[in-house]
Amino acid sequence: MNNLTDLPNTDGFFGDYGGKFVPETLMHALKELDETYAKLKDNPEFIEEIDQDLVQFVGRPSPLYFAKRLTDYYSGPQIWLKREDLNHTGAHKINNTVGQILLAKAMGKKRIIAETGAGQHGVATATVAARLGLECHIYMGAADVKRQSLNVYRIKLLGAKVHAVDSGTATLKDALNEAMRDWVTNIEDTYYIIGSVTGPHPYPMIVRDFNAIVGRELRKQSMEQFMQYPDAIVACVGGGSNAMGIFYPFLEESYVDLIGVEAAGSGLMSGKHAAPLNDGEPGILHGAKSYLMQDKNGQVVDTHSISAGLDYPGVGPEHSNLKDSGRANYIAVDDDEVLSSFHLVTKLEGIMPALETAHAFAALEHVAKNYKSNQHVVINVSGRGDKDINTVATMDGISLD
Amino acid sequence: MGYLLTRLDEKILSFKKASKKALVAYLVAGDPDLDSTLELMHGFVSAGVDILEIGVPFTDPIAEGPIIQAAHDRALKNNTSLNNIFQLVESFRDKDTDTPIILMGYMNTFLANAEALEEAHQSGTDAVLIVDVPGESNLEDLGIKNENLASISLIAPTTSEDRIGKICNSSSGFIYYVTLRGVTGSSHLNIQEAESNINHIRSQTSLPVFAGFGIKTPDDAFNLSKISDGIVIGSSLVQMIHEQSDQKEFKKIYNYLHDMAEAIIR
Repeated sequence: MNNLTDLPNTDGFFGDYGGKFVPETLMHALKELDETYAKLKDNPEFIEEIDQDLVQFVGRPSPLYFAKRLTDYYSGPQIWLKREDLNHTGAHKINNTVGQILLAKAMGKKRIIAETGAGQHGVATATVAARLGLECHIYMGAADVKRQSLNVYRIKLLGAKVHAVDSGTATLKDALNEAMRDWVTNIEDTYYIIGSVTGPHPYPMIVRDFNAIVGRELRKQSMEQFMQYPDAIVACVGGGSNAMGIFYPFLEESYVDLIGVEAAGSGLMSGKHAAPLNDGEPGILHGAKSYLMQDKNGQVVDTHSISAGLDYPGVGPEHSNLKDSGRANYIAVDDDEVLSSFHLVTKLEGIMPALETAHAFAALEHVAKNYKSNQHVVINVSGRGDKDINTVATMDGISLD
Repeated sequence: MGYLLTRLDEKILSFKKASKKALVAYLVAGDPDLDSTLELMHGFVSAGVDILEIGVPFTDPIAEGPIIQAAHDRALKNNTSLNNIFQLVESFRDKDTDTPIILMGYMNTFLANAEALEEAHQSGTDAVLIVDVPGESNLEDLGIKNENLASISLIAPTTSEDRIGKICNSSSGFIYYVTLRGVTGSSHLNIQEAESNINHIRSQTSLPVFAGFGIKTPDDAFNLSKISDGIVIGSSLVQMIHEQSDQKEFKKIYNYLHDMAEAIIR
């Protein structure tokens, strides 16, 4: 079990999952990225530069906050919140983009591209690109452009160009397809900042490493604030970067339960969901082998989730390996549970979570009863909910016009 | 390797002997429908095509430009599956046992049908080209077990020196040189770069090197056939098929292919 931390192997595999399943044109760029990252990741100057950005630009460390009223509500374990929603730009996504933009700079790339679902990664990418004065293009499914219009405008204000993607299901998956096509075409001068622990090697590793600051802080903060490591850590999983970031530094502490929460959409039985770890089969999409929502012919099926950021048929390969190894458990909560939880947390704690994050909170309904009052459960509050106000109002039947 | 010469190997050998260049044509199975695909396959051969490359539709074809993407979507709306395509090939073999057939697609669809793929050579398929599997991979290790199928690999302008040799060693049939940086159907042909890269690949392997991606006009075909062993035409054909799909009158396409066949060195 303890070798989980040493993955991926040099070919980019986490057990059976991961790898580099990409068109030939991209192979060299992936190797170049792998080599650059290997060279820089232990370089003291590079680490210093990232650390400084994380403190002064992102606002780290993010607090570990005791949710007293939520704890009282469930009358089970002590519930603690890791406040990634307080980061600059409002989510964990900035941890990754701050790191990757420095890789882009080191590789001399002049043009930045990214995909985005909920728009948080688009905002986080446009933000770091603006800061370095780099040209930036964000691919976003046309359906998501509509439901995340606030973030679309934020991205534009930051000087990036938003490309609405109409193909396929017009969501995150199609945005990734289009970003990869852009990369194939503009391989010489373009750096692709993937926003989750998905895609071909070395991306799942790099994105995990840049997000692992969250779990490292939690190790320190939990010791300082409640004198032990958490008994359980709960995080939502779409591609899975916020979950991987908070799980990874605890992989070797096998007594810390790691609980990933997928989007059950209209319910796992309905088939209209985005929960490949709960109801998918291993397959290959976007450069990696991982659990995937697909039909018997290997075609990727449409997904559904109230949250644009989780509305994705695949999942990071490391999560697939953690599932198979039993080190992490993955459950799923549906749209209705998520909406109730959004309201509950907002009213009880004065914290309005992103709909993605509300999945992690909704999991408390299922798992809180498994822990006693002297135990500590940490929720990774991956992002704030301002971007989702329109969606929530619509779901509640309220017009904001 | 010790396996019998396949239909593809024999075809390639005969071209080598005659110092002729091959014309490979691509179309997406099931666009506009499988009956039309069968008709087009025979029509292509009559128009002078030597090798057929059948696109296996996938929901997320990341190496394709908009023209071929749209064709994949249309074929999937018709529920075209890999099993349908094996039947298509079998039907084609009723009248044509000479023209090699390559299935070109994405790993997930091949893996989902890995068992059926083990029998694919019996229904007349000669090779696979899996776009999102690196050329140096051993397909058997990845779950694709059929040593009777040739495994064709892509080499791009960006492929590194050390990988070219490895890819050639793991491939059979021919090497498919991607003539440009970009998705299928782009238009940034660089003949000089292609020539120097193809010559380099040839120094590493005895396999023939075909060139494709971005070939649209008889001039492109002529120029690339001078420096390669054959050329592949894809997006322009797929576009024409789509334009003719209402009337199902494909004569214009056959004329175009005839011109392309005339243009290359025979």
